[in-house]
Amino acid sequence: MKSTLRTIVFSTVCTLGAATAHAAEGSTAGVQNFDPAKFPGYVVEEVVVPVPSEIFSVLDKLGEPNWRQELRGVDAAKGSDRTHLALLFGNHVAEGFVAVQAQDKKAVEDIGREVIAVATSLGIKNAVLPHANSILDAANKGDWPMIRKEFDLTQKTVREEMAKRKDSDLAQCVSLGGWLRGTAAVTAVVGKNFSPDRSELLFQPMLLEHFLKQISIMSKGVKGSTTIQTIEKGLGQVKVLMDGSASGVSQESVTTIGKICNDLLKLIVTAE
Amino acid sequence: MRFARLASLALVFALSLPVNATVDDAHSYAMEAAAPFVDLGFIVREDFWNGEVKSGQQLMIRHQLFKGNEYAFWLGTANENCKLDLQVLDANAKPIQIATKIGLGPTFTSVRVNPPATGSYTLIFSVTSKTDTSVFWALAYGWH
Repeated sequence: MKSTLRTIVFSTVCTLGAATAHAAEGSTAGVQNFDPAKFPGYVVEEVVVPVPSEIFSVLDKLGEPNWRQELRGVDAAKGSDRTHLALLFGNHVAEGFVAVQAQDKKAVEDIGREVIAVATSLGIKNAVLPHANSILDAANKGDWPMIRKEFDLTQKTVREEMAKRKDSDLAQCVSLGGWLRGTAAVTAVVGKNFSPDRSELLFQPMLLEHFLKQISIMSKGVKGSTTIQTIEKGLGQVKVLMDGSASGVSQESVTTIGKICNDLLKLIVTAE
Repeated sequence: MRFARLASLALVFALSLPVNATVDDAHSYAMEAAAPFVDLGFIVREDFWNGEVKSGQQLMIRHQLFKGNEYAFWLGTANENCKLDLQVLDANAKPIQIATKIGLGPTFTSVRVNPPATGSYTLIFSVTSKTDTSVFWALAYGWH
């Protein structure tokens, strides 16, 4: 209910804002009775999910997190299910962002190699190989901005490649796996040194809404997988916590969000 | 008769676009806007939004921003003789973008944003051409 109300309030605010901006060029008549269904503009539905580095950079400004402590490394994929592999791919790329933050050359190299392995299993090795090679080259040179750029490009290339192959559900799984790993890392850092400024970074109801919507429109085959169903349930729980955190994400919520993300990641990483 | 009308409409539409203009060109111009920001330390996101739309049509995007980062948004178009508008609104529909003196040009524009809180924001933008009926656009962002 609270969530629905928030959505309505947000939608109204957005559309009023849009109408106001539109009206600025001419008359303001009609703003009060603005009907979202008649919004003269076009709503771009595509959501660009932020990369973990965007949040990590704020955490760096608020203190000096020990990113090496947050590194988990990446294990070889144990199965051949494409949904799991796509989720795992997203996890690996996000782990790459943690390794960049930790400036851990060996971790980046290990992740780069595992990214190639998962891409091979997904049948998109050719698309990923140039980026993976750039990551390995840049790791040799310690060129951290280049590695970060290539991890971002890798994820984009894979999603585009999957979309081209009419596998847009799997493209969403890549984003989802990355978001879960990035969020788990943020909860770990915030949990170790809690402050309202740090925990506020976890206030992302719009992204939760986006992921839940994407899952709801997935094909029966993907949506029917136990892993996706478990993720959907977990994301629903996280969304409830975030919806109730407009005035601040509590320490308890940070712990709970971290636990949910970690449980889901365990499911992805250990899937056979 | 109907076919002839459709064909002439298609011809008018085709003539109204610059030769070879594409959404990729629009992104290239957005990246031209980004260049001076990169010199200031901004990190460019590789993902971006793009499309083709009727000239003057307002578009709206929702995007998650994090307090503590400074953001820059870069809007580019592949069409010439255009006016580009870009606003970023907070949850109260208040514009929060800061005008810049860099990253501005005939086919691109830029704004900076220091989000007052972590959460979702609304971007409203338009590309209005003096000569073309439809325009190619691309919107990218970066942070530091």
